[in-house]
Amino acid sequence: MAQIFDRSSNALARMSLVLTGLIVIALGVTLDQLQRSPWVTRQGQRPGQPIPFSHKHHVEGLGLQCQYCHTSVEKSSYAGIPPTRTCMNCHAQIWTNAQLLEPVRQSWYTGDSIPWIKVHDLPDFVYFNHEIHVNKGIGCESCHGQVNEMPLMYEQNTLQMEWCLDCHRNPAKNLRPTSEIYNMAWDAPTDVRPVWCTSVPNRLEVPTAQSVSCTTRDPGQAQAPGAEMASLRPVVDSAKGLTADVAAATVPPAAPAYRKFTDQDALGNFLLVNYKIRTPKDLTSCEVCHR
Amino acid sequence: MSANPENSRAVEKPMGSEVSNAKQNASKTLAAENADSAPMSLEAVRQELKGAKGKKYWRSLDELANTPEFQAAVEREFPSMAQEWVDPVSRRGFLKLMGASLALAGMAGCTKQPDEIIYPYIKSPEDLILGKPMYFATMHPFSTGGVPVLVKSDEFRPIKIDGNPEHSYNQGGSDPYSQGTLLDLYDPDRSQHVTFEGDGREWAEFAEAFRGKVASTKDGSGIYFLSATFTSPTLARQWQEVQKAYPKAKLVQYDPALAGTVLASGMNVRYDLTGADVIVSLDADFLSGASYPGFHRLVRDYADRRRQPENGMNRLYVVESTPTTTGMKAEHRLGLRASEIPAFTAALAQAVGVAGVNPPSYSWTDEQQKFLAALAKDLKANAGKSAVLPGVYHDPALAALTLAINNLLANVGKTVFVSSDSVIPLPSDQFGDFKALVADLNAGKVDWLIILNANPIYDAPADLDFADAFNQAKIVAHLGSHYDETGHQAHWHIPAAHYLESWSDARAYDGTVSIVQPMIDPLYGGHTAHDVFQALLNEPMLSAYAAVRETQKANIKGDFEEGWRKALHDGWIADTAYARQDKARPGGPSIPKVPTPTPKDSLEIIFRPDPNIYDGRWNNVGWLQELPKPVTSLSWDNAAIMSGATLVKYNLEEDDIVELCVGKGRVKAPVMVAPGHPDESITVYLGYGREFAGRVGSGQGFSAYVIRNAWAPFYATGSLRKLEGKWGIAITKSHYQDHRAKSLLGQGSGDNSLEADEALGPRGIIRYATLDEFKANPNFAHEGDTHETPSLDTSLFPNWPYNEAYAWALSIDMNSCTACNACIVSCYAENNIPVVGKQEVRIGRNMQWLRIDTYFEGDLASPRAHFQPMNCQQCENAPCEQVCPVGATVHTPEGLNMMVYNRCVGTRYCSNNCPYKVRRFNFLLFSDYETESLKLMRNPDVTVRSRGVMEKCNYCVQRIQAAKIEADKENRNVRDGEIVTACQQACPAQAIVFGNKNDPNSRVSKLRAQQRAYQVIADINTRPRTTYVAEVLNPNQELEETPVTHEPAKG
Repeated sequence: MAQIFDRSSNALARMSLVLTGLIVIALGVTLDQLQRSPWVTRQGQRPGQPIPFSHKHHVEGLGLQCQYCHTSVEKSSYAGIPPTRTCMNCHAQIWTNAQLLEPVRQSWYTGDSIPWIKVHDLPDFVYFNHEIHVNKGIGCESCHGQVNEMPLMYEQNTLQMEWCLDCHRNPAKNLRPTSEIYNMAWDAPTDVRPVWCTSVPNRLEVPTAQSVSCTTRDPGQAQAPGAEMASLRPVVDSAKGLTADVAAATVPPAAPAYRKFTDQDALGNFLLVNYKIRTPKDLTSCEVCHR
Repeated sequence: MSANPENSRAVEKPMGSEVSNAKQNASKTLAAENADSAPMSLEAVRQELKGAKGKKYWRSLDELANTPEFQAAVEREFPSMAQEWVDPVSRRGFLKLMGASLALAGMAGCTKQPDEIIYPYIKSPEDLILGKPMYFATMHPFSTGGVPVLVKSDEFRPIKIDGNPEHSYNQGGSDPYSQGTLLDLYDPDRSQHVTFEGDGREWAEFAEAFRGKVASTKDGSGIYFLSATFTSPTLARQWQEVQKAYPKAKLVQYDPALAGTVLASGMNVRYDLTGADVIVSLDADFLSGASYPGFHRLVRDYADRRRQPENGMNRLYVVESTPTTTGMKAEHRLGLRASEIPAFTAALAQAVGVAGVNPPSYSWTDEQQKFLAALAKDLKANAGKSAVLPGVYHDPALAALTLAINNLLANVGKTVFVSSDSVIPLPSDQFGDFKALVADLNAGKVDWLIILNANPIYDAPADLDFADAFNQAKIVAHLGSHYDETGHQAHWHIPAAHYLESWSDARAYDGTVSIVQPMIDPLYGGHTAHDVFQALLNEPMLSAYAAVRETQKANIKGDFEEGWRKALHDGWIADTAYARQDKARPGGPSIPKVPTPTPKDSLEIIFRPDPNIYDGRWNNVGWLQELPKPVTSLSWDNAAIMSGATLVKYNLEEDDIVELCVGKGRVKAPVMVAPGHPDESITVYLGYGREFAGRVGSGQGFSAYVIRNAWAPFYATGSLRKLEGKWGIAITKSHYQDHRAKSLLGQGSGDNSLEADEALGPRGIIRYATLDEFKANPNFAHEGDTHETPSLDTSLFPNWPYNEAYAWALSIDMNSCTACNACIVSCYAENNIPVVGKQEVRIGRNMQWLRIDTYFEGDLASPRAHFQPMNCQQCENAPCEQVCPVGATVHTPEGLNMMVYNRCVGTRYCSNNCPYKVRRFNFLLFSDYETESLKLMRNPDVTVRSRGVMEKCNYCVQRIQAAKIEADKENRNVRDGEIVTACQQACPAQAIVFGNKNDPNSRVSKLRAQQRAYQVIADINTRPRTTYVAEVLNPNQELEETPVTHEPAKG
């Protein structure tokens, strides 16, 4: 009887051993990549919404401020999705016959919600809180990207845990003055675009944001600081709003020893101290996001 | 007479004698040879206790008898079968499933989340900030007095009920019933449709038929209302208007737990225990739940006088017919059969000097006489500074006698207040009216019987044959929250609105009127009794809202709209409390004839409303069903609860089935032993054995109403007969035993459980002293043979300094805790804890994050108990963390031991390594992800845990985070008292205090700095963050030498 396995089988066997190892590794790498791929994270995906709402048009084109619709972003864990009424504030007057807006009018007449598909969807065991982020100098754009450039909403970042931790481990790199929270075009300070900041001695029981005022115009030159920044925003009612620090800045500065910042590191660390940002040890503790 | 409070306190025998005595006895008991005894041999128990005068602790009778079964049980980590798959998914089925899921396991991490839809508002409600809860004040109307509550509302869904902290009556305290009403609101088994003989109808059709019929009678003859006891002044007013229009219409109020009591007939005696140095309870269970009127206030005042023993403390005497937490908290407790209690009270009244009392002649035992004499003496010495409280479930003579005693002692006007007005707006003779109704039914006089929030088919007295009489009514309409026993038999059934869904009003114990305001639209379009009565009046469509406003115009002073808004906001209408009458009345009340005790050898059966589900109305509330009952730790069942001696006499074992007979009624019941129960007496709780309670409650336990008659509603002479078989009761207390004695530095014998051996032993889980011992040695909790707290700093792991701004800690005052269980139910609601069901409880899988350990001490027949709330101790050096292979349980910089659910893979090593046994594992998918109504109830800030995940108390970390975010925004530290844990919030005694131990001025720091503060099992270097404040008792020296062995009373 002929041999079942001839000599070449040995090579085959060795090959298959190596191959098995390679396949296992390849599988691991594939799964790892898959887990981080936009297919899973939905990064960059534009789900089909009931209305092709354009942030670009409303924010950049019309100059709506974020909080016009996302009213509770400074006050609650949710930023808030606008009620149909907010749409109708304008669209009862303009584009009243637009086919695109039919679902809005339907919602208004029938009393059924517009079923938006959630774009930034965290897992249910994650408890993200908007108010503390915007109150402590993380701009909308840091997480959501330049929404004013998005005709259709999509997820700019992965929103995966490693992405969160990346900032929680070193918050300074994303901090900005709270007066710039809603500024979509904000960029880190450079030599040609410096930022001047001053801090009044820290008063307890007063929001940290109010103890810092920053400006992108040289306060040495005689003009009202902060005027530029206020331009984008309609006046927010109470002193509790984030824009209050702008108001504080327009008050004749009490011995404003403005410091000039030309890079994010220096500015971030200045704000880190003055906004009393918790330490990375605190910020990376599990209960911060998981309960 | 003004006795010096110092004199009234006992002078304790020299320190140390008891401790050394205890030590001797401990070694004796450990050596006792009884390992071969039969399961639950009472002889063995007796032997064990014989001579054990000292501080010998035990948690269950099995533990005390130390049977082989018990030893085997403690050696297992989980109770028997806990590891088995006894659910419908069989082992084979499970493997099949596993095969499938293994194939998918590699991909599981890659699955995408399904799309989630956002449904925004059309018009956003004013003032709503999504994600921030709102709080509304309202009142839980209850027949012993409304409970002012503050309801947490998330997107206008009520998700948590707590006491109203600003209300002067309960000051934030609540009780299990009030907490449980939340689940009652979202009960998926609530009835949802108006039906007529089973067919769907509309409310308008009913209202039309009803109004037409009543109008056609002209004077209302033949129209009968059978209602639960009215709690609403508005409802009473509406009824009076109906009565005016239809004078012959009749109203019968019937509450099974209230009928026949002096409360139902409008007697209103209130107590203020702040000034009471001596409190005497004559079967008054005022420390365990809202079934006793004024519970919230009484328990708080009682606890306030015990928080700082150095400033003097009260003394509690309890004479009771069934073991309750009140009795177990007492300095001196006397167990008497229920029928003996009025006679004992009469004898006490005579001894104190009340004129005109003729106590029935009775042969009291020496012990009882001694107790009586000492009690009378102490009362006389504390005239004007004492309070005598009568039990609710007794002959009216008891209330009259206690009032006479209080009157004579000049307590009236100081600690006792009498009002002519009552929280019940229409007091009545409930049994009398009910009997008249049955007679009229049988005589065919009843055309329409309208039943309002009552369930008489289930809970009517057995001797009245209500079910037969019921069929004589031509038309029966039933307004009820559930399609229950009565609903099934009635022609019309109308879903009732919950109190959280409707407008009404009610009065608290102190008389304050509150508006009951709806938190949510009726989920199933329910209606209230207000609507039913209003349908007969001139404006049939007038809402309850308008009716309540109309009534309260009389109470709201000043501008009505403003006052109304203020009343809604505050939760009460100012200046509506009862006036306090200041003077004792000369002469006192006339005393009716005192009933004679039944013969000592006759078997007495006592009926009590259940401590968890009351009269059966909360039978379908899973939280309350699963909640271990105080003292007995029984869950999901009621039982024939009796003493050990009675058990022996009838040759029974625990869990046997007996047939109880009273009159013609017979019912099968499981047997259970409760330490301290009087002999020849059996307690049965009402409220079980329901046929149509719903998916949770139907078929649990047995109906005690079958043997409860109108002629003897509180206790009756009966008999019992042993039947074959075992019942299978679920008792939680043996779940948490552990077997560590052997390893305990070689000192343990290995024979006993953690508790039995170590409560006294080197660990001193329970530490207490008498007041004199405490005065002599304020540091008693850390000294003596057994109580040193070792300061071990050695650890393999680096010491974390915990020098952050915050270090969270909890303090539990063992002196104040009365084991009312409010904290546990509050924890259920706050932390989305699932209910597991009786079978799962039986195998030890109940999920409460917080339990109340009961340590009995002393004689089986007259024990004392120590109650210890036990939740995760948040060890700084946590044993659980060191064994988790996936880092799912980790420490935060502020010292919390966190569970990261999404990391947990379910090895259960952590639970194995936890010395406190406070971790709970989701063996199966216990959380209900399917039922729509329950989704509305969940706390959105807490993850709903799935199968295979460990969970445990985390000091309500969601509340800590919320407070920290608020504080961070405002650039300040979290203020002391800003974070309140759910258990702390519910506690009517304020026994639980949470705070920051790094702040030396916080309440918790001060409590920790007290000398009485100690940690449990700290000697293994766990460094727990929870501390307990050791108990101090204030015994009467004359009664200190209680007999060690208590012979069963013989006739």
